[in-house]
Amino acid sequence: MNKIYKYLKNEFFFGINTWNFLSILAFLFIFLPIFLIIYNFNIESENWSHIKENLLFGYVSSTLYLVIGVGLMSTAIGVGCAWFVTCYDFYGRKYIEWILILPMTIPTYIAAYSYYDILEIFNPFFNWSRNNLGLEKTIFVENTLIYLIVIFLFSFVLYPYVYLSSKASLLVQGSRAIEAANTLGIPTNKLLWKVIIPIIRPAVIAGTSLVIMETLNDYAAVEYFGISTLTIGIFRSWFGMYDMESALRLSSFLITFVFLILVFEKFNRKGAKYDNKGGNNFLKRIDIKRGQQSFVILFCLTPFLFGFFIPVARLLTWMMRSDVNLIDLDLVMTAFNTVSISLISSFIIVSLAFFMNFTKNYFNNNAIKKVSQLVILGYAMPGAIIAIGVLKLNSSVNDLFSLIIIGSISGLIFSYAVRFLAIAWQPIESSMEKLGTNTNQASRVLNVKPIKSMVRINFPFLKKPLLIASLIVFIDVSKELPLTLILRPFNFDTLATFTYDLISQAQFFQSSVPSLLIIFISLPAILVINKQAGKKV
Amino acid sequence: MLFKTVNKLIILVCITCFVMADINVYTHRHYDSDKILFKRFTDITGIKVNVIKGSADQLIQRLKSEGKNSPADILLTVDAGRLVKAKELGLLQSVSSTKLLKNVPEIMRDNENQWFGLSVRARVIVYAKDKVKENELSTYEDLADPKWKGRIVVRSSNNIYNQSLMASLIESNGSENALKWAKAIRNNMARKPRGNDRDQARAVASGVADLAIINTYYLGLLANSSDKNDRKVAKKLKVFFPNQNGRGTHINVSGGAVTASSKNKGEAIRFLEFLTENENQKIFSESNYEYPLDYWNTKAKVHKKWGKFKGDSIHLSILGNNNADAVKIFDLAGWE
Repeated sequence: MNKIYKYLKNEFFFGINTWNFLSILAFLFIFLPIFLIIYNFNIESENWSHIKENLLFGYVSSTLYLVIGVGLMSTAIGVGCAWFVTCYDFYGRKYIEWILILPMTIPTYIAAYSYYDILEIFNPFFNWSRNNLGLEKTIFVENTLIYLIVIFLFSFVLYPYVYLSSKASLLVQGSRAIEAANTLGIPTNKLLWKVIIPIIRPAVIAGTSLVIMETLNDYAAVEYFGISTLTIGIFRSWFGMYDMESALRLSSFLITFVFLILVFEKFNRKGAKYDNKGGNNFLKRIDIKRGQQSFVILFCLTPFLFGFFIPVARLLTWMMRSDVNLIDLDLVMTAFNTVSISLISSFIIVSLAFFMNFTKNYFNNNAIKKVSQLVILGYAMPGAIIAIGVLKLNSSVNDLFSLIIIGSISGLIFSYAVRFLAIAWQPIESSMEKLGTNTNQASRVLNVKPIKSMVRINFPFLKKPLLIASLIVFIDVSKELPLTLILRPFNFDTLATFTYDLISQAQFFQSSVPSLLIIFISLPAILVINKQAGKKV
Repeated sequence: MLFKTVNKLIILVCITCFVMADINVYTHRHYDSDKILFKRFTDITGIKVNVIKGSADQLIQRLKSEGKNSPADILLTVDAGRLVKAKELGLLQSVSSTKLLKNVPEIMRDNENQWFGLSVRARVIVYAKDKVKENELSTYEDLADPKWKGRIVVRSSNNIYNQSLMASLIESNGSENALKWAKAIRNNMARKPRGNDRDQARAVASGVADLAIINTYYLGLLANSSDKNDRKVAKKLKVFFPNQNGRGTHINVSGGAVTASSKNKGEAIRFLEFLTENENQKIFSESNYEYPLDYWNTKAKVHKKWGKFKGDSIHLSILGNNNADAVKIFDLAGWE
């Protein structure tokens, strides 16, 4: 018996131990809600044929229009701005470089409602066109316009994902590439297409896929503007027809979407592993002519103007115009709740991601490597679908142990972990890869205990990515709406749910203060991220 | 250090909530009137009201997954259909209260006393005074007439108020006619459905359309808004109660029920009774412009201005029973 045990222990020497066991256990626990969703994809329901015949095409096509539109536009803005601010020198460049990141603080639902009456500007035109061009044409123009507006709106608040990743990639690799291009005599006007884009492509695709996931996740904005995306369809079958099975089926389409994007991204990234050596020389920025300067400045200021300045200015005017007392104890408590739950969740989620990544790396554990690919699913699914998964898990646990896991702070943090582990995972994983397995193998050979290696070697090296991961999770949790709304404890509001509540009563004036607070709470975090992303790790 | 303090504070808050918990309410209602009502209830009875706000459907899913261990005592929704659904899922329990039976009209409560209406809303036509004459309007059915081509705005059929209206049309006219109606209305729309009921009112005021189908209390909110643009919108519009010579205007209730899992049944019933009392019915009308349960006797100023009306007398549980069919008919009619 002892022999068999020893054999097993030797065979899986680095396979089975407390670290691996705990990591896999944690992973399984977090993956359970997602598993319950996927498990239910295949259950046929009576409404499915109705949905397939009458609605599916519409859902998929409008989702496609939106995804393609927002994807292309935010990529154009993000790459364009990143290219200008890193490769060229122009008036006010330094300020423009950091204000460009600000729209990231604005959740799509707040952007949408700060522009809620934008279509009213066009009313005189519609009235004219109805009388002169006829109803059909007017409706067609209006529908096209709505798509355009939503695409612009989303792009103007989501492009920073592309902007940040492209900028970081350009900073690391741009200088040498441009130098080389200059030596080879490639003209400046061909630089972008021939040199820059091919080099930063993986970074761009990574940023764009985040933009697309955010777009797919949105419910409030598309609902308001009357665009029937897949996410709308999911809600409609769940709530209108009480048909959770069809809702889950529809979400499987959504997941397929995301999955394709992710495969595409992985595929692209594999082809171009960064070579980071010697990237330390600073980029010599190219001076541009006066006439071109104003174009560049205008190009860079437009997204800031529409994605940050106008929404914030509108919220501020609403705040000023309101005659009710906007700041009371409730609001202070809510702000306090938001900050504390975001801090705690971010600490827990990042620690978990660090622990699991370390285990994966230190013990070179294949099992964790394989399953870790699945954590991304949490971020890819809309928050409301994750909520279904958590509720399903809750009901299974409740059946088995007569225990309710939701409705407490810890239950809420757990659901955040399900949703946001992926975004903490990625920066940590990529930096761990840079650290290489060699370092940890060396500590193993030298008999350094794992805990010592984790704290003394890995932690100091990973301080920066850990900080960035914590800040991103912090921002995401503080903005999170659907999960919080449905899984929160009694008398618990975050700024996001508070805002939502006021908006659903159309109390725009009152909602301005919590919205502004959401924006200002994530502001410092975003500035730190921007600073870190500008440096080399 | 910060984490510890924060953690301790949160634990403290949780513990105090737990110890003082008297009744736990899951509610879809997100109105200021409720804050006033809950506070009044606590002041009078000493029973604290703990609240989770969310959409009724999600709250029902949550109740379902919590089963008999659910901490909830009360479920409040903004329509009868969701309560019917909750009853079907076995999430509610029958209560016996003569007060509730007396205060809530028969069509506005469950026949097994599992849920009760608490306030009434009417889905009416609002029209631009300068473009439509009152005598041109008659019924919901009449809006399908080609004379209204390009003149109507209504919100999306994702919305429960439209689904309930459709459910009542299915009941009165049959599915086939209801589908014909929905197709015709879709054809008569001045634009693709978008926005909420307020936005429809705004669209009529700005000349995009001549009339809209909305719930009455939205007009009350606009007329009493702190935004002067909203008040201007309200001034341009007039309310018309359809089907007065027939079955009456479509009405629905915002309602409440005691959950099957309730551990504080006595307090929960008291809470529902409290909400149906005269004094508190006034609060529904005065701060949220909803009609009281005896809407024909309403004393609120806004309501008097709109005039008296006859409400449809079908039992409201029918709205819940027909809901899924209503959604399908909207789908078939291409009403987004």
